[in-house]
Amino acid sequence: MLKTLVEAFALISTWEVIIAMFAASVYGLVIGSLPGLSATMATALLVPVTFYLSPIAAIATIVAASSMAIFSGDIPGALLRIPGTPASAAYADEAYAMTRKGQAELALGAGVWFSAVGGIAGVLSLMILAPPLAEIALSFSTFEYFWLALLGLMCATLVARSSPVKAIAGMFLGLLVSCIGIENPGGVPRFTFGITDLFGGIEPIPALVGVFAVAQVMRAMLTPEPPPLPRRKFGSIMAGQWKLTKQYHWQMTRGNIVGIIIGVLPGAGADMAAWVSYAMSKRFSKEPEKFGTGHVEGLVEAGASNNASIASGWVPSLLFGIPGDTIAAIAIGVLYMKGLNPGPTLFTEKASSMYAIYLMFIIANILMIPLGIAMIRVAAYILLAPRSTVMPIIMLCCAVGSFAIGNNMFGVVTVAAFGVIGYVMEANGYPVAAMVLGIVMGTMVEQAFVTSLIKSDGSILPFFERPVSAILAAMAIGALLWPVMVWVWRKVKPVQTAAATIR
Amino acid sequence: MRLPDSVTGSFLVVLGAAAAYGGWLLPPVPGQPVGPNVFPLVIGIGLALCGLAIVFGIGHSFEEQEELIPIEDGQVAAAPPPQGKLYGLRALLPPALLLFYVVAADRLGFIITAAIMVYVTSTTLGAKWKLALPLAALSPFAIHLIFGKLLRVPLPAGLLPTPW
Repeated sequence: MLKTLVEAFALISTWEVIIAMFAASVYGLVIGSLPGLSATMATALLVPVTFYLSPIAAIATIVAASSMAIFSGDIPGALLRIPGTPASAAYADEAYAMTRKGQAELALGAGVWFSAVGGIAGVLSLMILAPPLAEIALSFSTFEYFWLALLGLMCATLVARSSPVKAIAGMFLGLLVSCIGIENPGGVPRFTFGITDLFGGIEPIPALVGVFAVAQVMRAMLTPEPPPLPRRKFGSIMAGQWKLTKQYHWQMTRGNIVGIIIGVLPGAGADMAAWVSYAMSKRFSKEPEKFGTGHVEGLVEAGASNNASIASGWVPSLLFGIPGDTIAAIAIGVLYMKGLNPGPTLFTEKASSMYAIYLMFIIANILMIPLGIAMIRVAAYILLAPRSTVMPIIMLCCAVGSFAIGNNMFGVVTVAAFGVIGYVMEANGYPVAAMVLGIVMGTMVEQAFVTSLIKSDGSILPFFERPVSAILAAMAIGALLWPVMVWVWRKVKPVQTAAATIR
Repeated sequence: MRLPDSVTGSFLVVLGAAAAYGGWLLPPVPGQPVGPNVFPLVIGIGLALCGLAIVFGIGHSFEEQEELIPIEDGQVAAAPPPQGKLYGLRALLPPALLLFYVVAADRLGFIITAAIMVYVTSTTLGAKWKLALPLAALSPFAIHLIFGKLLRVPLPAGLLPTPW
C-alpha cells in the first residue's frame, strides 16, 4: 500500500504531469466560464492533445479540465444569469439574485469552496468504493456485463429531461452507429456501404466533438450574443466561507452524498446532480421561502453535489468501462488509448496508476481554490471576448483535433456529420447524451450479448438464472418500465382527486 | 429546425426497418446460432418501435418546455435577429466549412484554409473586418504552433509553408 502510494507520487511528480495539469486547469476554467461551452466540450477538445502525452499526464489533463470547468460554469451564472455549463443551470437564478443583493463574493466564493470540498468527497468515494466493487466484479460473466451495460443505458434515458421514448430512440441510434464497421462477432463489413473509411467503424471521439462542439457553433449562428459582463470590483472571496461550512455542514454532506450516488449511476452526471440537490435542498430547508431570492443554502448543496459527481463518475468507468457520465465516456476512450483498459483487474495490476488518479483528483480540487479565485477576478476580462472570436477558434480546434486522432481527413467528415446529427436531435428534443453513451458502449453491449447467447445456445433463460444477473435484469427492466408507471400514476391521480371532490 | 414528431418518428421507423433488414441479410457465423446479424436486428426493431411510439405521441407529456429566462431590469433586450428566409441556413455553415477544410486543406495548405474558415465564421457571427481580419491572420499560426509544432500533427503545408 505504502509502496504503491510512493510509486504513485513518483508517477505524478514529473514536470510533464505538473505542466499538463496546470495548463489544463487554466484551459478548463476559461472554457467553462464562457457561456455555451460546456465541460464535456472542453474535455472532448482536449483528447487530441492527450494523444501526445504520457498516460498519466493525459489523464491529469482530463481530470483537471473537467473539475475546473464544472466550477467555472458558476461564474457567468452568478454574474450574468447565464450558466457557463449545464451543470450550473440549476442554481444560476439563485446565484444571480445574490449578486443583485450585492453578495456576488459570497455566491462565487461558495461556488469555489464547496466545489473543491465536493470534489474531494467524490475522490474519497472513488477510493473507498472502487476496490471492494472490483472484488465483486471479478466474478462477473458476460451475462452480468450485458445487464450492467443495459442498466447504464437505461439510466441515461431515465435522467434525460425529455421524453423517455425519444431518449431510448437516441440510445438505439447510438448503438446502431456502433454497429458500423468490421469489428463484430462475424468480422464481416457491416453497414459500410463499400466505403473503406467506414470499415474501422465510427470513432467515439470525433462523434463526441461533433455532437458537443460543432453543434454548439451551429446553435450560436442562430442565437443572439449574450450581454457583456458589467465590470465590478470584488471584495474578499473566501471571507465567510468557513462560517457557511459550519452553518450548512449537513446540507453540504447531503449534497456530497447525492452527487456521489448520481455520479456512480451510469449515464447520469453533474447537471443531474445539481438539479436533484438543489431541489432537495429546497424541499428539506427550514426556510424554503427564501429560495429564489438570493439564499446561499441551495448553492452550497448543489455546488457540493455537482463536483462530487465528477469524481464518482469514474467508478463505473474504471471498473466496467461503463461511463458514469459523458465526461467519463471521453475519459474511457483515453484510458483505452493509453493501455489502461478499464476493468476490475486494473486495481491490482496497475494499482500505482489508480493511486495516481486519486492523487491527481485531490490536487486538482485543492488547486481549484487559488486558481478559481484568480479566475473570478479576471472573469470580467475573459468574458469580454465576443463570440465571434471564440467560435472560429473552436472550429479550427474541431478540424485539427479530429484530423489528429487518426491523421486522416475522414475524422473531419465524421465531426461535420455528427455536428448536423447532434444539432437536429437537440432541436427536436432527442437527448444527445443518450446517443453518445450508445456509441461508446455499443461494441461492449453487443459483445456481451452475443457471447452470452452463444454460451446459452440461443436460449434467453440463462440471462436470468445467475443471482447477480437476475437482480441487474430486474433493475434494468424496472428502469425501462419506470416512465410507464409514472404515466399511469399521472393518469390515475386526477381521477382520484376528481372523485374525492364529487363525494 | 424543429420538425413535427410525426416526421422524425417516421424517419426512425424507416431507419430501424432498414437496419433490421440489413442485419438480417448479413451472413451468420458457420456453426453458431448467432452472429453479426442479431444485434442490428434487435436494435432495428427497437428503433422502429420507438419511432412508432413517437409518431403516436407517446411520452410527449414528459417533454419540458424550454424555460425562457425573462429579461430583468438592467439587462438590455437583445435586438431580435433578422428572420430572413435564408437565416436558418446559417446553422449549416460550420459543417460546410469543415467539409471545405477536407477538400481544400491538402491543396491550399493548413494556414490558408484555416484563415478562410476563421474569417467566414467570425464575420457570420457579426464581427467587423477590423476584428475578423487580424484574427484570421494570426489564429491559424497559433493553432499550427500548438498542434503542428508541439504535438507533431502532420498538418498539410500546401501553398504557404510555415516559417518553422
